[in-house]
Amino acid sequence: MSKKSFLSLFLVFALILSLGAVSTVSVQAAESESGYTIDPDKTEILVGAVRSQTGVFAMFDQTAFGPCYRMWVDKVNADGGIYVEEYGKKLPIKLIVYDDTSDMNQMTQLYQKLILEDHVDFLLPPVSTAFLSAAVPIASQYGYLMIGAEGGSDTLKESLAKYPGFFSVLNYSETQIPAIVDLLLEQGMESAYIIYIQDTHGIEYSTAAEPAFKEAGIEIKAMTSVPADIADMTPIVTDAMNSGADVLIMFAYPQINYPAISIAKTLGYNPKMIIMGPGGSFESAKAALGGDAGVEGIIFEGAWNTKSSPEAAQFAKDLAEFNKDDPNFGMDWWGHIVYYASLEVLQQAIEGAGTLDNSVLAEYIKNNHFNVSMGEIWFENQEIAHECFLGDLGQWQNGYPEVVDADEDRTADPIVPKPEWAAE
Amino acid sequence: MNRSNGGGSRIGQYIIPIIIIAVLFGLSFLTRTGTSMRPSYIVVLFVSILNYIVLAVSWNIFSGPSGYIALSTAAFFGLGIYVSALFGESLPLPVLMILAGAISFVIAAIIGVITLRLRGVYFTIFTFGLVLLLQYLILWYEVKFNNLRGRTVASVPYNTVFLSLLVLVGIVLLAAYFVRKSRFGMALSGIGECEDAAAHVGVNTTMVKVIAFAATSFAIGAAGAAKATTMIYIDPPIAFNVMMSFMPVLMVIFGGAGTFLGPIIGAIAFTILQEQLTTKWPKWYMIIFGTVMIISIVFLPKGLVGTIGEMKSMQKKIALLGITAGFMLIGFGFTQILEAAGVSIGGLVFPLLFGIAGFVIFANVFKRHKGKEAA
Repeated sequence: MSKKSFLSLFLVFALILSLGAVSTVSVQAAESESGYTIDPDKTEILVGAVRSQTGVFAMFDQTAFGPCYRMWVDKVNADGGIYVEEYGKKLPIKLIVYDDTSDMNQMTQLYQKLILEDHVDFLLPPVSTAFLSAAVPIASQYGYLMIGAEGGSDTLKESLAKYPGFFSVLNYSETQIPAIVDLLLEQGMESAYIIYIQDTHGIEYSTAAEPAFKEAGIEIKAMTSVPADIADMTPIVTDAMNSGADVLIMFAYPQINYPAISIAKTLGYNPKMIIMGPGGSFESAKAALGGDAGVEGIIFEGAWNTKSSPEAAQFAKDLAEFNKDDPNFGMDWWGHIVYYASLEVLQQAIEGAGTLDNSVLAEYIKNNHFNVSMGEIWFENQEIAHECFLGDLGQWQNGYPEVVDADEDRTADPIVPKPEWAAE
Repeated sequence: MNRSNGGGSRIGQYIIPIIIIAVLFGLSFLTRTGTSMRPSYIVVLFVSILNYIVLAVSWNIFSGPSGYIALSTAAFFGLGIYVSALFGESLPLPVLMILAGAISFVIAAIIGVITLRLRGVYFTIFTFGLVLLLQYLILWYEVKFNNLRGRTVASVPYNTVFLSLLVLVGIVLLAAYFVRKSRFGMALSGIGECEDAAAHVGVNTTMVKVIAFAATSFAIGAAGAAKATTMIYIDPPIAFNVMMSFMPVLMVIFGGAGTFLGPIIGAIAFTILQEQLTTKWPKWYMIIFGTVMIISIVFLPKGLVGTIGEMKSMQKKIALLGITAGFMLIGFGFTQILEAAGVSIGGLVFPLLFGIAGFVIFANVFKRHKGKEAA
């Protein structure tokens, strides 16, 4: 083939495709998006979720939001469904869950599938902050509500105005860092060594901690970032030990926190206070770190417990009962009650507004209070108001997750200095 | 990984390019099945298919004939993603794709000049290391200097991404076709068969390898820029996902390395199988996927297209394709029976698996029959 014919072929190809594209665009311009409609033949509420059931994030679906949404659907359907006034009857929930294999490409594609092919009524959030950051714009684009679960961050909150259907539920650095500072000051701690994961959580918490600690007069001996897949924490834990800091803080995940604690035990490193990030509130942390004695005195981001309120106690009992046959289940004394409350909010909003119209429900959620397992909650700027939380910090005391905030949420006085590590 | 014969009449040379253009033009009408605000899901699925076709065909243009197994696809795909993340707010998608392609081309050329003197496993390991190097370098930079982990990518309507990828696929397929027919393609094949001999007869082997490696990296980077706009939020591990290096290789092996159609068939089959298995068979996904790969490598080392290509009898080729189609129909019927019984299994899982099973069984039956005839 000559060079001339080759170029001609390309030109023809580009021309044909351009014509196709132009004609498509002109067709699109003439069409308009249809709004919410009531389907008289509707027999169920379709709820869709894309969750990481396999891959690196699978443990979060197994142990965090997963047990909550499964119990919620079961309870709702056992009760005959959710009453929707515009249909004049209760509609049961049909749950469609797709596995994104912990892959962002899969996750975004499967949310499109839920919306465009399955035509779900509601979306549940994906696992992790990064995935939530991608899922929220997709949901928003199609006019869906998205009430968060495991994920969330200050960065995402900055874009709340752009996504009127997004609601953030967990407490984050803006409330937990002040709670840490208050506790440290109350307990007379003067210096801290901070380890943080190279992740949104670690970066945001460490960024918020630096000025807050400085203002409070707490010296930061070092602030060390670690990659998520760090192979050996020994040098960093040794550095923390040699720093002589009163407090070791780990704004990191279980794959970093748990090995770091094990190494600290091996080295005999026992600072006056240890504060652990996500995973510290998991009941399963005890199994990983040597039982009740293995976590004694460790403080974690959270928190709530069965003493927080009678509703919280009932919720803990129900969740444990529902998941009793699941070997992966362990109570999360930070997230579980918040995640479940988010589902109760959705249910109460549907019942209160009497519709499945996501935009109406978004407004309803913004403007109303809800009585849920956490007690009475409401949203301020699309976030659960801080006073609704049952605590910001917990501490393992005899295997029980006490709330130790330096305020009225406290269920027990903190044990400081932390007891010596139990012999294994 | 021999190149198939590139002979044929002058008119015959035009047939495949015309078919490619016609098929892609036909596909462009898929955008009419939805609106710009609400595309149809088939367009969303095709964005993934087209993306993998670009990656698989690009990989096959260089690694297929040359025998240099590059695992750098994720590196250039990730660079493309970051170009979209950085400039997506201010540049239109076609410009982003060209920019991402150009950056990938330059970096691949520099790396190629340094590393394409390495041979065998050393080159493969280096290219894989490149993915990790870029991932951690960008992660370190973002955390250290920007105090952030991930970035939001400006969203582009799916129909636009689809049409952009369709054009890119067209360019890559035409390039793949004409490279196979060219002296440049012969030089690449010569390098794969015996690099020393190729050099001895006057082929500037380093130059040929670098140009092929860089040119295919251009397409990979451009695909990354397009796909990023559907991902919306990225961070280094997401952008430089090592699976993006392995998936195109698996697709090419399954379809037939060194063939023209093999990577396309592999990309289509794997993307559909992945979508159907993850949505309908999530717990079986990796088991079935892994089994298909093992069976393919053990029983079809030359892939689907390569296996048909090595059959000399046209009757056997037609028979094998017919049998495969028959098995797919049986799988389809089986699906219909199960769907009627209320069991949702995904419309294309059984047709694909039955088709693959039928192909594997009868390809080997024909091979043995040929062996007996020869004996």
